[in-house]
Amino acid sequence: MAIARDRPAIVMDNGTGMTKLGYAGNDSPSFIFPTAMATRSGAGGKPGVRTATSSLSQKRDTEDLDFFIGDEALYAANGPGYGLEYPMRHGQVENWDLMERFWECSLFKYLRCDPEDHYFLLTEPPLNTPENRENTAEIMFESFNCAGLYIAVQAVLALAASWTSSKVQDRSLTGTVIDSGDGVTHVIPVAEGYVIGSGIKSIPIAGRDITYFVQSLLRDRGELDTSLKTAERIKEEYAYVCPDIVKEFSRYDREKDKFQTFRVDQGGGRHVNVDVGYERFLAPEVFFNPEIISSDFLTPLPEVVDTVIQSSPIDVRRGLYNNIVLSGGSTMFKDFGRRLQRDIKHLVDARIKSSEQKSGTKSGGMDVQVISHKRQRNAVWFGGSLLAQTGEFKSYCHTKKDYDEYGPGIVRNFSLFNMP
Amino acid sequence: MSQSLRPYLQCVRQSLGGALCLEDFASEIVERHNVPEVEAQTTPSAVLEPIVISRNDNEKVLIEPSINSVRLSIAIKQADEIEGILVHMLTRFLTARAEAFRILRRKAVDGYDISFLITNVHTEQMLRHKLVDFIVQFMEDVDREISEMKLFLNARARFVAEAFLAPFD
Amino acid sequence: MLLLQYHNLLLQSILTERLEPGASLVYIDQIISDFDYVTFHVSTPETKSVIVVSLAIKCWSDLVKYGAESVLKREYGSYITETEPGYNFSLKLDVEALQQENAELREALIDKIALLKRHAMAAPFEKAFDTFEQLEKAAQSTDRGVPEESDTEVMTIHYRDEESIFVRPSFDRVTVIFSIIFREETDKIFGKVFLQEFVDARRRAIQNAPQVLYSSSEPPLEIRHVPAAKMQADMGYVTFVLFPRHMTAMRRENCISHVQMFRDFFLYHIKCSKAYLHSRMRYRVSEFLKILNRAKPENVEKERKTASGRRFVST
Repeated sequence: MAIARDRPAIVMDNGTGMTKLGYAGNDSPSFIFPTAMATRSGAGGKPGVRTATSSLSQKRDTEDLDFFIGDEALYAANGPGYGLEYPMRHGQVENWDLMERFWECSLFKYLRCDPEDHYFLLTEPPLNTPENRENTAEIMFESFNCAGLYIAVQAVLALAASWTSSKVQDRSLTGTVIDSGDGVTHVIPVAEGYVIGSGIKSIPIAGRDITYFVQSLLRDRGELDTSLKTAERIKEEYAYVCPDIVKEFSRYDREKDKFQTFRVDQGGGRHVNVDVGYERFLAPEVFFNPEIISSDFLTPLPEVVDTVIQSSPIDVRRGLYNNIVLSGGSTMFKDFGRRLQRDIKHLVDARIKSSEQKSGTKSGGMDVQVISHKRQRNAVWFGGSLLAQTGEFKSYCHTKKDYDEYGPGIVRNFSLFNMP
Repeated sequence: MSQSLRPYLQCVRQSLGGALCLEDFASEIVERHNVPEVEAQTTPSAVLEPIVISRNDNEKVLIEPSINSVRLSIAIKQADEIEGILVHMLTRFLTARAEAFRILRRKAVDGYDISFLITNVHTEQMLRHKLVDFIVQFMEDVDREISEMKLFLNARARFVAEAFLAPFD
Repeated sequence: MLLLQYHNLLLQSILTERLEPGASLVYIDQIISDFDYVTFHVSTPETKSVIVVSLAIKCWSDLVKYGAESVLKREYGSYITETEPGYNFSLKLDVEALQQENAELREALIDKIALLKRHAMAAPFEKAFDTFEQLEKAAQSTDRGVPEESDTEVMTIHYRDEESIFVRPSFDRVTVIFSIIFREETDKIFGKVFLQEFVDARRRAIQNAPQVLYSSSEPPLEIRHVPAAKMQADMGYVTFVLFPRHMTAMRRENCISHVQMFRDFFLYHIKCSKAYLHSRMRYRVSEFLKILNRAKPENVEKERKTASGRRFVST
C-alpha cells in the first residue's frame, strides 16, 4: 500500500457528455472523450435499456468484455453489430453495469494503471444522492481494489481551479459557479466548500443551443456549408461577446473587416468559403438576451446569477458576488466574463440605490467580480488535478482498509480540504 | 427440484406461515416504546422458542418467533471456498441494499449468512402469504444464483487462460 | 477488450498528435503512468521544438544488470539523450525534423517509443533466451547429455514492492516465475480458480502453449536458493516454462511482450469478472425486489373524488 502514495493520483471527471481522465499534477486531462459505450446488446434493442434476461442466458459468453468506449465507441457504433449506450444521464450515473465497465476500460486500456497502486479522485454533480456515492465506492473498492478514493463536488473543484487566476487573492471555497457545458447551464452557489442546494438554478441554454442558432443563421443566409460541424467551428473560433448589440450592428456597417470568411475543408480536396457575420457576437448574446432563440425561457444569465445569490443566506452573499467563477466550454467566449460582471454590477447597483433612497442611509456598496482563467474549459478536472497532487490529498481519501472496516457507508462523508 | 429440497422448502413455508401471526405489542419494559421483541429479548413471555429447520449440515434455517416480530436466518449452501466467497459477495451486496428490501436485516445472525426481520408493521402493510412466498423463492434463487456464478467463474477462467496462452504459439 | 495492449496508448497519441506535419509547437509537460510502477514524463524542457520522453521504472537497477542499456540502445539509438534527473532513461525528439520525416518512418518510431516500457523490461528475457541458445548448442556439441544445472544464473527483477519476476535459462527451456501477492480474500480465491485453468489449459486445449505451474505453499525448486524468493502469507508462485518452440526467432519478440504482461492481464480479468458478477447481482437484486413488491397490496387506497372534482377529506 505504501507505494500507492508515491504514484500520481488519478482524476476522473465523468460528465453526461464528456469524460475527462488524467493524472493529478498535469495541467490538462490526458483523455477527453464522450461518455458513450458501444456494446453488442445495445445493437438490437432500445438503446439505454439493457435486456437483463439476455445477459443471464448468455452467461458463459464473454459479451461483457466486448465493448468500446469514447471515440472508439462512436466509430464502432457506425459499423454493424454494436449499438451506442450512455451510462450517464443528467449528470448522474443511470446504469451502473455500464458505468462499471466504462471505468474498467478507462483504467486498463486508456490510463493503463493498476487501481491497486493509485488513489482516485472522482467527481459528482451537486445534490448527488448518498446511495450513488455508496455504489461508486462499492465498485471502486470491491471490483477494482483501488487504494484510496475521494469524491468531490464538481462546483467545488471549479472554484479550486480558479485559484490559478491572478485575480484571486485568498483561496476561499465560497463563490458562485457558472458551469456551462454542452447540454445545460447551472448556476451554483457554494459557501465554504458546501453547495447551497436550494439555490441552484439551471438555464436550458448551453453550447448545443448556440451551435444550432449559428447553424440556423448560416442557413438563412444560404451559405454553401451549413453543417453542424461548421457551425461549431465558427462558434468556437470567431464568436465573442460585445458590450452592446445595437452599437455592434452599426459598427459592422461601418467597418467591413468585421466580416470574415471561414474556409471549410469538405474532404476530398474540396474547399468552400463561408461568410461569418453578425453571428460572431449574436451567438453568445443568447445568454444575455435569451429571447433571440427561445420563447419560453426569457431570463438573462446575469439576472439568474443575481437571483441565485439573493436567495442564498445573507451572510455569504458578499462572498458569492465577489467570486463568480466560470467553468465549462460555453463560457470561453471572449469578454464573456467582462460583460457578465458589468450586467450583474448594474443590477446590484440599481438595487442598492433604490434601498438607499427608501431608507435614507448610505450603503457601503458591493463588489462584483467575475473570474475567468485559462483552465476554464476543463475547470472541474483541473481543480481535481490541483487538489489531488497535494501531499494532504491522500490523507483525506478513504482507503481500502477503511472501506473493509466500515463498509460503503463511509463515503457519505468526505472532509473538505483546502490547499495550504 | 431435488428430492430433499421440496420437503425442506415446504417445511420452511409452513413454519414461517405459523410464526408470522404477529400483533402490535407495546414494550413492557420501556413506556411508550414498541420494539421487535425478538431483537430486544427483554420480555421472556413475549419471545417464543426458536426453530431450526435443517436440510443438512450447511443448509439450515433458523426461525425465531416472538409476539410482534420474527427473525429468520438462512445458512446458504457452501460446498467449497469458491461458493463460500460468492455467498459472501452476494450477501454483502444484498445487505448493502437492505433499505430497499425493508425486511432484510443489515447483519446476519451469528452462524448464518443472511437474516430477515419481519415485524407486525410489515405484515400489516404487506400480504403475509406473499412474504412467505418471497422467502421461499429467495432460498431457491440464491442457491441457483450461486451455482450459476460459480459456473461463470470457471468458464471465464478457462476462457481467459486460453486467451493468454494461445498467442504464445 | 480481451488482451491488454503492449504499448502505452497515451504516449502514442500524444506523440502522434505532436509530430503530425503541420502540428503547431506547444509546451508539453505531462506525467503518464503505466502498469508496474512505470512513469513516463513527456515534456518540452528547453524549446517547444524538442520533446523529451523520460522513463522511470522501479526495477531499473535490476534491468541494467541484465543489459537493458544495450537493448534500449539497439532500439532507440541516436534518440537517447542525457537522462533527466529523477528518471532512469530519456529520449529526445526533434519535432521539426520528425515532422518532415516520411510518414511510415515516423509512425514506426512513435510505435517504438510507445513500447518503451516493454523494451526496458525485455532485457532479462533476451539475455535468458540468448543463454538458452548457447546452452542448447553446448549441450548438442558436447553430447554429454544434461549439462551442469547450477551454471545458469537466476535473474531476479524486483518489479514491484514485494513481487518479483524470476527468469532462469536452461539448455532445453527458459523458466519464468512470477511471485504474486493477493491482498484480498476474494482475489485470492478467484486467482486460484483462474490459475488452475492456466495449469489445465495445456492439457486440454492448447498443447503447444508453455507449461504453467502454480504453487501457493513454497517457492518452486528452480528459485529456492534465491534470497528474494521467500515465502510470505498470501503469496503464490506462477511458473511459465517456455520451450524452444516459443523462442524461435519469429516468435521471440511476441513471446517477450506477452509474458511480461501476465500479472496485469491476470489481475485485469479478475477485476472484470468481479464487475460482471456485480452486474449479475444488480439484476438479481432487482428481481428479488420485484418478488417482494408482489407482497404489497395493489390498490392501497385511491383518492376518491366526486363528479365535480371535490375530494373527500378523512376526519
